[in-house]
Amino acid sequence: MSYSRRKAFFLTVFAMIAPLGFGGAASADETCLSPYTAALIKGQESYLHVWSLGEKSLGDESDKLVTVDVDPSSASYGKVVDKLSVGGRGEAHHMGFTDDRKYLWAGGLDDSRIFIFDVGSDPSRPKLVRTISDFAQKTGFVGPHTFYALPGRMLIGALSNSKTRDGVTGLAVYNNDGEFLSAHPIPLADGGDGYGYDVAINPQKNALLTSSFTGWNNYMRDFGQLVQDAEAMKRFGNTMVLWNLKALQPDTIFNVPGAPLEIRWSLNEGDDWAITATALTSKLWLINRDAQGRWQGKEVGVIGDPAKTPLPVDISISADAKTLWVNTFMDGKTRLFDISNPEKPVQVYEKVTGRQVNMISQSWDGRRVYITSSLLSNWDKKGADNEQVLRGYEWDGKELKQKFEVDFFKEQLGRPHHMKFSARSFAERR
Amino acid sequence: MVFFRCLLATAISVAAPVFSFAAEGGLPLPAPGTYTLNRIQRAPFAIVREGTDAPRPLADYTTGAVTLMTFFYGHCANPRGCPLAWRVFESVRVQIRNDASLQRRVRLVFFSFDPAHDTPNILSEFARSYQSDNAIAPWRFITAWPEFTLAPILRSFGQDIAVEPNSATEEPTVINHLLKVFLIDRDGWIREIYTFAYLDPPVLLNDIRTLLEETNAGE
Repeated sequence: MSYSRRKAFFLTVFAMIAPLGFGGAASADETCLSPYTAALIKGQESYLHVWSLGEKSLGDESDKLVTVDVDPSSASYGKVVDKLSVGGRGEAHHMGFTDDRKYLWAGGLDDSRIFIFDVGSDPSRPKLVRTISDFAQKTGFVGPHTFYALPGRMLIGALSNSKTRDGVTGLAVYNNDGEFLSAHPIPLADGGDGYGYDVAINPQKNALLTSSFTGWNNYMRDFGQLVQDAEAMKRFGNTMVLWNLKALQPDTIFNVPGAPLEIRWSLNEGDDWAITATALTSKLWLINRDAQGRWQGKEVGVIGDPAKTPLPVDISISADAKTLWVNTFMDGKTRLFDISNPEKPVQVYEKVTGRQVNMISQSWDGRRVYITSSLLSNWDKKGADNEQVLRGYEWDGKELKQKFEVDFFKEQLGRPHHMKFSARSFAERR
Repeated sequence: MVFFRCLLATAISVAAPVFSFAAEGGLPLPAPGTYTLNRIQRAPFAIVREGTDAPRPLADYTTGAVTLMTFFYGHCANPRGCPLAWRVFESVRVQIRNDASLQRRVRLVFFSFDPAHDTPNILSEFARSYQSDNAIAPWRFITAWPEFTLAPILRSFGQDIAVEPNSATEEPTVINHLLKVFLIDRDGWIREIYTFAYLDPPVLLNDIRTLLEETNAGE
């Protein structure tokens, strides 16, 4: 074969295999994962893994990883196909894949235990392969919240600390084997408040952003009592921090009042902006560069009526960074914003998707949207409003159409919180 | 020889432009030595081969100097895969050759996971291409035995590969993989792992200099 023919052949083959995610990760995963995550699912996801809080007097009462078949072509579509209890209730909350997507790390905000599940060997049957029980002793932090893949490592954003259990906390780095490597406090000086929540990386800008929530003393407290305590309500994060990623050192601190939570970078190559929502003040904030090229944080929109404290708790950005889903816990609404101009988000759709709604995840193509109901065990609504469900929707660009529901209380599974996708083909690819 | 030249030319010609990490608006690289690179994991014990030489421990290629190592296969044509690695390593090697503080202290290693096609002779040809200044900027080409040592080595480094079914038997095999480059300190610890999104020669050189400053401080 001639050189030119062989080169043409290679390029053709590359064009065919590139969508598989090998030979170079795309700039992000299903719209919110670490940009270092391999094996993207840009087609139909097979399973949804739900990290669920154990509920006293319900089933085995334990936190558990629940796996739901979400492939519409499957006979068990919309059904629970596996549940894996970890023993005890530690306030199951968030999860994150390792960079190779073979393992899923899941944390407990109360007991600070971290569970590492093998989801690569058989995603329909995750296996617990390691439990980290000394996170607080190793790092000085408690409440491991965000799990964000770095190459060969896991970056963990915590919510609190083991001494005062207030919101002063930091970041920790572990290797993929679960060995502690380093701890990095969130800055208290130069306008910093030391609080932490989400982490999000833009590798091309050498930039890491963190946001801020509140400490163990608040997030483990009964919500009704908490909001009556004016002093306690002052102890929420009001900052975001831009870090030099390579150095893992703070660079710039932004004043973002009202507990900025999830952070989503635009996934468009070359873009240099991220968006977040503030829980207490119900605002959208943009992190970008001003006309002089300096990084800034600025308010760009409101979510619902902030006076009614709708409590935006999760956001999900589309792969083309043109739309943003926002879930508001108190009014149970799922809203869609047009953010094609991120400086001026415009709400274009809303629907009540539950009596209380929390996490929201969308597929890469944006056609499927999943929501869960639980915020925190002591913050969820009471009585009849305390429905605990996973709901799957189709989005046709105009309307969210519910396709299935899993009633987590009825099936004795607890309170569903964070969700992650997996695909059968990944197991085959191994 | 003609085949080898085509292979090398293909590898380099289809490389995507090297992404400029310090692009406009990006946060600046910290000065070498002002930051710490985690000791992520030790490079594993393994037996490898270089050309037709006798088997040697992998440690011969991962200790005693700061090492930049990647896994590759000679027929790879994915612009975000091996060709990019070739180009980045060549760029780094130019810097090593031109900087006395780097000479003889940094080693480049290409580790083939396709020993069936990257035979000892082919790997020796690759090595010969970089023979000039080999003493001050060595670039080694190694592999392992697929039936014995290759799989555990790849597993230890977290380097997944997947062989594409090849219907046209006359064509070279396509091996899907996510490009990873490993920075290894002189004691054999992996200190950084780069994927294509983060594979920028200035970043690599900054990290190399950081490790060398550690060495200087320890001497």
